[in-house]
Amino acid sequence: MKKNIAFYSIVLLLVSGHIMAQEEEPTEYKKRVLEAVEVNLLSSYYTQDGENAAVTGGRGTEELTDIAPSINISIPLNDDDVLTVDATVSAYTSASSSNIDPFDGPQPADPFVASSGASEQDTWFGLTANYAHSSDDRNTIISGNVSFANEYDYSSIGFGGSITKLFNEKNTELQLNVNAYFDSWRPQYPIEFREGFNLSDYSFSGNPNFSSNYTEFQDESRNSYSIGVSLSQILSKSIQTAFIGDVVLQNGLLSTPHQRVYFGDFEDTMVENFTLGNDIERLPDTRTKIALGNRTNFYLNQNFILRTYYRFYTDDWGIDSHTFKAELPIKLGLNYTFYPMYRYYTQTAANDFGEYNTIVSTQEFYTSDYDLAEYDAHQYGIGFKYYDPLNKLNIGGFGLKSIDLKYNYYERTTQNFNANITSLSFNFVAN
Amino acid sequence: MSCVAVKEYEKININDPDMRLSERDLDKYKSTFQSYREAAAGANGGKTGGGCGCN
Repeated sequence: MKKNIAFYSIVLLLVSGHIMAQEEEPTEYKKRVLEAVEVNLLSSYYTQDGENAAVTGGRGTEELTDIAPSINISIPLNDDDVLTVDATVSAYTSASSSNIDPFDGPQPADPFVASSGASEQDTWFGLTANYAHSSDDRNTIISGNVSFANEYDYSSIGFGGSITKLFNEKNTELQLNVNAYFDSWRPQYPIEFREGFNLSDYSFSGNPNFSSNYTEFQDESRNSYSIGVSLSQILSKSIQTAFIGDVVLQNGLLSTPHQRVYFGDFEDTMVENFTLGNDIERLPDTRTKIALGNRTNFYLNQNFILRTYYRFYTDDWGIDSHTFKAELPIKLGLNYTFYPMYRYYTQTAANDFGEYNTIVSTQEFYTSDYDLAEYDAHQYGIGFKYYDPLNKLNIGGFGLKSIDLKYNYYERTTQNFNANITSLSFNFVAN
Repeated sequence: MSCVAVKEYEKININDPDMRLSERDLDKYKSTFQSYREAAAGANGGKTGGGCGCN
């Protein structure tokens, strides 16, 4: 009897001890994905110039100026979820766009002179919202996004999502992402093709029987679907690499409705210094793009990092391209980084590209957009970053985390085209 | 050089902001003008052709 009491007492003690252990088992610490609200204020000033404007069939000024302020806000909704909102406004003036209607200003019409009419300027607005959820172990991240963009002749709505998995003690990261854009044009055709244009209202020379192959596009929609995969891998304590691939399918109105084309087999009609177009750009209504890239970064020592990037691109319009970029962040102490950059880009011409006034009217597809021509481009950049991990400078409840200033110069060696872009950003973290 | 599982406490160099395997936030402007002015797009985190009347 006494033995039974002792036995059952021991069993009862063991069972109750096990239950108490389960109830008091401590929860594992889970670091928040994002500790506090982050605000990024960015802006850029862009200028370009060239002499192969697509609006005037590959011959004309490409002068353009753009100012684009942007704000990006990341908000931690809880330990696992982050909402990011990005809004950008881009205001530009363009000499080539102004020549959609070269006759609406006081100066003589000329492809190398900007017209001062309404088509000279436009504003693009874009808004994107992204929601991301991380699993408790932080090895799975699921995100979804929606975007909206609008300018005078174009609107876009887009949806997308991604799933990211981390493996191997977070040394390996695999991501799959998909995006779809449902866009539409509101075509602004060159003035000589619009109803109401009458050649007899102008003093002209050349062919008095001005005629064109122009017809309006019936389908004004433009859809894009992409699927992308990326695989990132830490190779050592100082090297990590990522392989990225994107496949993009597009359909709909892929031509740009205000870009003129001149036929070599048509006699020209000129008004003032401006040759009236023979048609607008006609490109296939489908396009398939494949891009494969690699980023590899090397932590050389506490003062030097090397960032490299390569991309191969091909599409079914006949364009193949290679991109190579190298950047060398140079750390000057804990807070300052100086980073020079060089980028080389080369592409082959689209099958349907023809230089100014070389296209034959019997072709099914044609363009004189020199962005689709064969060329090489060099880009040189210099950047400067101030980084304060302690966010000591406080402005309105937000600590300044970093300031980033960058200048890039871009030129095409086989075309007389160059561009300058200066960008500035301020990154704040809520206290 | 080989793929090794670098421990979290050994990732001080890998976690440097300049080692991030993506474009800088400021480079979104550069990527945008490149997607407008160049035929190629994709594999860089930028626009792939939708959302704009670009190439």
